[in-house]
Amino acid sequence: MTSRTVFFNILRFFFLIFFQGLILNHVNLGELGGYINPYFYIYFILLLPFSTPRWMLLILAFILGIGIDMFTNTIGLNAAACVIMAFVRPFVISAISSGPESLIGDTPSLKNQGLKWFLYYAIILILVHHTSLFYLEIFRFSEFFATFVRVLLSSAFTLILVMISEYIIYSGNK
Amino acid sequence: MRNLFLFLREHYFYFLFLLLETFSLILLFNYNDFQGSSLYSVSNTVTGSVNSMFSGITEYFSLRKTNRVLIEEMAKLHSRIPEAFYITDRNVFYKKDSVVKLEYKYISAKVISNTTNKRNNFLMINKGSIHGIDHHMGLIIGNKIVGQVVSVSPHFSWAMSLLNKDSRISGKFKKNNQLVNVEWNGGNYRKGQVKEIPKHVVIVKGDTIITSGNSDIFPEGLLIGTITDFTNAQDENFNNGEILFSTDFNSLGYIEVVVDMMRKEKEELKSTFKSQ
Repeated sequence: MTSRTVFFNILRFFFLIFFQGLILNHVNLGELGGYINPYFYIYFILLLPFSTPRWMLLILAFILGIGIDMFTNTIGLNAAACVIMAFVRPFVISAISSGPESLIGDTPSLKNQGLKWFLYYAIILILVHHTSLFYLEIFRFSEFFATFVRVLLSSAFTLILVMISEYIIYSGNK
Repeated sequence: MRNLFLFLREHYFYFLFLLLETFSLILLFNYNDFQGSSLYSVSNTVTGSVNSMFSGITEYFSLRKTNRVLIEEMAKLHSRIPEAFYITDRNVFYKKDSVVKLEYKYISAKVISNTTNKRNNFLMINKGSIHGIDHHMGLIIGNKIVGQVVSVSPHFSWAMSLLNKDSRISGKFKKNNQLVNVEWNGGNYRKGQVKEIPKHVVIVKGDTIITSGNSDIFPEGLLIGTITDFTNAQDENFNNGEILFSTDFNSLGYIEVVVDMMRKEKEELKSTFKSQ
């Protein structure tokens, strides 16, 4: 891990917290607005280098979640979801890659790993995060299906934001 | 012992995960009681200043609308001042001071953070305990309800919007004063649910629901919304309906906090009855 990577990750950490807290949390998409709230800040966890120690993954995810919770006054909610996501990440990576040597570069990206790998990676982790987040938020089973719709729609929107950013970086680095 | 350490080192990832996850969940379930907690006030002060800075920028985008609302409100108030009335017989309008006592006081405040897209929505306003704001005070915009204060710090207050699973507003039909409850089940932020409509009440689409004044939070007669749809349940004791909120929760700028000057008296009255 070079100091350049560390620097960019720190920058991304703060940018995503403020972007989520000040802008994305207030985005409203009209009639369906109650079902769609993208949580794009988890892009930070998606992009952490492969060489990040696993304990550090968990701790960073926890701090990231607490940072977001400060804005929404839901102390512990985003932190819990992020920690689950960070815990699952190493298993997802080893499950969808053919081996550690097959991973090119240090940062997971569309450019290095290809579309199929990155889509699998992003979809699984986003779903894990959103599912835990929305069900913890509501914490009752009476609204099981409404919450399920929210998970699916919000995950789709987060995925779209992640893919757009990946394409922007992809075309920028050519 | 050595084996234990080896075991811990081998599986440290799982233990760290369990530790952090448990810690998050403890935070989540202990400090997110909507009645308000000390941790709320701490993060209120931290993010309150960031939010108010940011809303200082964004409020320029809604100046036109804010002006319109203010002018409407001013016109309404102008029509209430004594000069606006045609006084024919002074004796009729005269009331002793001890009879007319101020029951509700209103404090204006600005919404500096607000959401409508979560299952549980909250808003932050730029006035707090030093301005006289306290728990359970109602928030209104014009004559429409917004929510209630759940936590205060010296300069900011954190309020639960009507769009929240813990929100339950006591309302009534304007036409016949029949009591109902208004809740929000998530999803569309313009529409809520009217629960517990007694069977004998004839519901018509477009019926107006207003606050009942039973809850000590809102004065009587504030607009909640109009009925857009209803079901006639066969096997239950109550009918349910769908309500279109009068308040547009997505464009709250300046709101007012309702201070019930007689709340203490009302509460004392209730508690004296309980203790007997």
